Amino acid sequence: MKPFEYYEPATLAEASELLRRLGKDASIIAGGTDLLVELKEDLRSAHHIVNIKKIPGLTDFAYDPANGLRFGALVTVREIETSPAVNGNYPNLAKAVSLLGSIQVRNRATVVGNICRASPSADTIPPLIADGASLSVYSGGTERSIPLDEFFTGPGRTVLVPGDIVTGISMPAPRPTSGRAYIKHGRRKAMELATVGVAVSMEHVAGQCSDIRIALGAVAPTVIRARRTEDLLRGRMIDAALLAEAAESAMQEATPIGNVRASAAYRRDMVGVLTRRAIGYAMGGVQ
Amino acid sequence: MNTHERIDRDLSERDFTVVGKSVKRSDTLEKVTGAARYAGDVALPGMLYAKMKRSNIAHARIKSIDTSKALALQGVKAVLTHQDVPRVLHAGSPHPRSASVTKDQYILDERVRYWGEGVAAVAAVSEEIAERAVALIEVEYDPLPGLFTIEAASDPAAPPIHENGLGQNYVLPPVFVTRGDVDKGFGEADLVIEREYDLGRPTPAYMEPNVCVSQWDGNGKLTMWTSTQSAFMVRGTLAEVLGVPLNKVRVIVDHMGGGFGAKQDLFQNEFLCALLARRTGRPVKMEFSRKETFVGGRSRHPGKIWLKQGFTRDGRIVAREARVTFNSGAYGSHGPGVTNVGTAALTSLYRCENVRLEGRCIYTNSPIAGAFRGYGVVQTYYALDLMMDEAAEKLGFDPAEFKLMNAVREGDMAPSGHPIVGHGLVDCIRRVMEETNWHELRRREKPETVKRRGIGIGCEMHGSSAYPGIKEQGNAIVKMNEDGTVTLITGTAGLGTGAHTALSQIVAEELGVPFEAVSVVQGDTDIVPWDIGAFASHTTYLGGRAAQLAAADVRRQVLEHAAPLLKAEPGDLAIRDGFVVVANGSNQSLRLSEAVGPQRGMPAVQLVGVGTYMPTKSYSFAAHFAEVEVDTETGEVAVLEVVPVHEIGRVIHPIAAAGQIEGGIQQGIGHTLSEDYVIDLTDGRSLNPSFVDYKMPLSMDMPSIRTIIIETAPDPGGPYGAKGVGEDPIIAIGPAIANAIYDAIGVRFHHYPITPEQVLNALKTKANETRQ
Amino acid sequence: MNRLVSMTVNGEPCELSVALNRTLLDALRNEGSLTGTKKGCDVGDCGACTVIMDGRPVNACLVLAAEAEGAAIETIEGLQPAYDKPHALQQKFMEFGGAQCGFCTPGIIMMAKALLDENPDPSEDEIRFALAGNICRCTGYTKIIDAVRATAEELRRAGTL
Repeated sequence: MKPFEYYEPATLAEASELLRRLGKDASIIAGGTDLLVELKEDLRSAHHIVNIKKIPGLTDFAYDPANGLRFGALVTVREIETSPAVNGNYPNLAKAVSLLGSIQVRNRATVVGNICRASPSADTIPPLIADGASLSVYSGGTERSIPLDEFFTGPGRTVLVPGDIVTGISMPAPRPTSGRAYIKHGRRKAMELATVGVAVSMEHVAGQCSDIRIALGAVAPTVIRARRTEDLLRGRMIDAALLAEAAESAMQEATPIGNVRASAAYRRDMVGVLTRRAIGYAMGGVQ
Repeated sequence: MNTHERIDRDLSERDFTVVGKSVKRSDTLEKVTGAARYAGDVALPGMLYAKMKRSNIAHARIKSIDTSKALALQGVKAVLTHQDVPRVLHAGSPHPRSASVTKDQYILDERVRYWGEGVAAVAAVSEEIAERAVALIEVEYDPLPGLFTIEAASDPAAPPIHENGLGQNYVLPPVFVTRGDVDKGFGEADLVIEREYDLGRPTPAYMEPNVCVSQWDGNGKLTMWTSTQSAFMVRGTLAEVLGVPLNKVRVIVDHMGGGFGAKQDLFQNEFLCALLARRTGRPVKMEFSRKETFVGGRSRHPGKIWLKQGFTRDGRIVAREARVTFNSGAYGSHGPGVTNVGTAALTSLYRCENVRLEGRCIYTNSPIAGAFRGYGVVQTYYALDLMMDEAAEKLGFDPAEFKLMNAVREGDMAPSGHPIVGHGLVDCIRRVMEETNWHELRRREKPETVKRRGIGIGCEMHGSSAYPGIKEQGNAIVKMNEDGTVTLITGTAGLGTGAHTALSQIVAEELGVPFEAVSVVQGDTDIVPWDIGAFASHTTYLGGRAAQLAAADVRRQVLEHAAPLLKAEPGDLAIRDGFVVVANGSNQSLRLSEAVGPQRGMPAVQLVGVGTYMPTKSYSFAAHFAEVEVDTETGEVAVLEVVPVHEIGRVIHPIAAAGQIEGGIQQGIGHTLSEDYVIDLTDGRSLNPSFVDYKMPLSMDMPSIRTIIIETAPDPGGPYGAKGVGEDPIIAIGPAIANAIYDAIGVRFHHYPITPEQVLNALKTKANETRQ
Repeated sequence: MNRLVSMTVNGEPCELSVALNRTLLDALRNEGSLTGTKKGCDVGDCGACTVIMDGRPVNACLVLAAEAEGAAIETIEGLQPAYDKPHALQQKFMEFGGAQCGFCTPGIIMMAKALLDENPDPSEDEIRFALAGNICRCTGYTKIIDAVRATAEELRRAGTL
């Protein structure tokens, strides 16, 4: 790891100002589980590392059935994984976080960090997009909200500019009609980067889908919504024929690349299978 | 019932006091407390850190290397290139008495032959500065054509990767093995099957990256702490290449973090580390990163096996013909040994009198293939066993019954040219069938569900020791101290298999002392007797036998000494539980300390026994049962259960033996389903040199394993009949899984690893064929 | 530039002068001379460097030493209740053959300790899940799982959990 300057700002204002001043040459460290790997492998150069862990208020966690879930930028993946509120209300997110790296990694990594790295295969992003999450972003004294599905601009790229700090994430509460699922596809049962990830968040009553959001991971430059497939399903009775049609549609919406982990054709095939299965699980099937 | 209870039950009929018991492994206390010192844990005052510059081209001549920027960096103490190191051609696989080693390596050459080969090395005051200096070294290359496949490299028009005069990039002249009359055999056949099998590139991926520490003293003596399976081979090769006598090189291996065969080689680092230490006059540590451990390491030999067999209607094999072609990568390493052993293995396992085999090994500009658990036999028995499964079906036999009918038996000629002792393979297959209710499972209904289950059986045999390829030798010194305790001084390396515990058990058994009375001195070439290294499933077989012989020598001396004290003949005495006892009748006995300790002002008797053993060969056997579940929509294969039955003659330490079996199965499951070290076929670059992308099965992927060890064919050459076990499990599991996949989905694969994508595509093809 | 980092290691105060780009793993192994914690990959894939930091298992290779300021670190060296008395986990790993080459063992034992601290009666699946980030290439995991289960049973019997 090359040498770097290290900062521990005490307030958001101080951190934001520092990041704005240092520009592209600075990286925020929260969990550090991705950043340190990138620095060690020379995949990222950063002469300035800004540790935001000394800033108060970023570890908050709150859930209530009216306003949903909100948690701060320093909440770890493991805290989300072991939260009864998350397990009870956001089974897709709970599943995704349990599949991210190892417990050792999850004890350090933060959900917001996983989002900000903007990897197309990040585990937490598909369920959060499917659930309609938004990020709170602080910059120079003001806070704004960005819907997560408008946050990414490419692999490793987001709408953030120097000085922006994501302070937390929030998402609406589920309703009694909500059904959710996340399926990660990889060669092993753990310690995998997703070759395909599919998250579904839907509203359904007696087999009828009133609303649905489908997010596909690792099959496009960013995690994407399968919007045409959502349109196809919205307002319809879900049956085997429609599921097959949805699977085919999701495959068409994916634009995967092939690499050593899986070929493009196989990823596309898995988008179909996993979309069909995820909808089934979201509607109460056993995962 | 857990594994060791089961083994203990199976092995209950015996009168040994120490052998066969799962005593607490004496070599693991330091490991569980973190006190065990591995080479990378050595820290010396003033120590420098070294890093290697590696090529970013697979095949080229080095036009120039500019080290000036690196040398100018603050903290850099020395830089070495091919111009600064002795140019001595040496073998990568340094077996001293093997006829087949290939001298084809220099410490640093003016040419690179694979992507990631070391071209320079730096020593600096910190690892981080050494890394920065490496990045500052500028190398200019004259590219040569990259020959990445067997086909490209063996083209007669291809340029030679090494100038050995053999042509077609042969590492060694083709190996031919012939028995009987193959053409006549095929003439009698009712069924002929001919197939080509394609073998991937698994790597050992041991947990401890390659590492060494070098220090020279004022008298020109080098001490090296290194992670090797063959300390004396490292000593010999270092001495030869650096031009110093053997007594000026001391190699120390206290503990090592796995090797699985690959750490028999030297990896450029040993030489460079020693030379940097000599150049700077300071101790130097050189540790590979995980990526370097992949890139600069050794893989199993990839390759192709063309196999053709003739069968009669009544289920006999009447002819077997094979062409085995291995990809050696950029250097010979173990290519000659692997080609000889892997090819010759096809004479056996399943009986066939008419055999014609040819083995080739080809240089390519790909990662170096070396020794790896199973040594060529993983590859050839995968092909052979898969074809047996196929033949059984075509001839209308149950696959297990068919393998049982054709299994080698007592007196059959083994690949080594020796008659096989006992019916070990037959016993293993029978036991697997009983244990798993094989016939009942085969009759089980198979619903056409998304997830489908299947069962398979795979068989193997493997030799303990590398004879006749290498004439091996194991040595041990056993001392009895004046209080009756015992010190075993052994050259046998502690690879992590529990060998030192097993050797202590053997010594304790032979001397009639409790296990706790034996302590082990090992791992220092200045102290322990010469040893060839820990490989070829021979540490217990060979090192154990040498220890047994040394202990027997001490026992003889003890009894001779005690005889007058007990007023008896030595032949009437025995040692039991630390006492010399008169064997027949009288109740007389003498505590060992009284028998050998100082008495009446006289010093204690010096009791030193030396054992030297040069083994021939024995074979261990195994049959594995595997049950798999195939997801027909994703192509994923999960191994649900494995039942391995191993015949190993005499088990010395049941838990350690089972640990070998279960670990081998883990690696074999990986080989068969997920592990493949891949290079880009356009430039030879590694595509997955990391634990994320090189897919080893981990805790959640591993199935439950029900290990069964039987002792029906003890070998007179091993201690108390014991044979090897280290390599066997990795050979049998692959075919068991591939055969189980066929049973589940009706598709036969002829390669490994069998990926989900290939399973899915094969299912699609099959569905299309059915529709037509 | 170095920084003085104060932490508690195995219950003892420990002050190390480390470079800012030093990981906790390198600091423990070099400046701290605690070499029981191993480096198998240095990028969080293998778990050989698992230590317990403020009660939670982490990969020491993915923590900057500077981040450990004020933290309580437990390593394999601190597990024994007395120098001649191994911890129950260490005892069971020896008895059940849970360690072969031993390189992954310190990390696995620390991870197992963290698991048992949290869940005194883990099922086989829970043990496999907890050890998912600890690569062992020797054992096939069977003996490790036997050892962890046996430890849990013994600790429960002894009432220390």
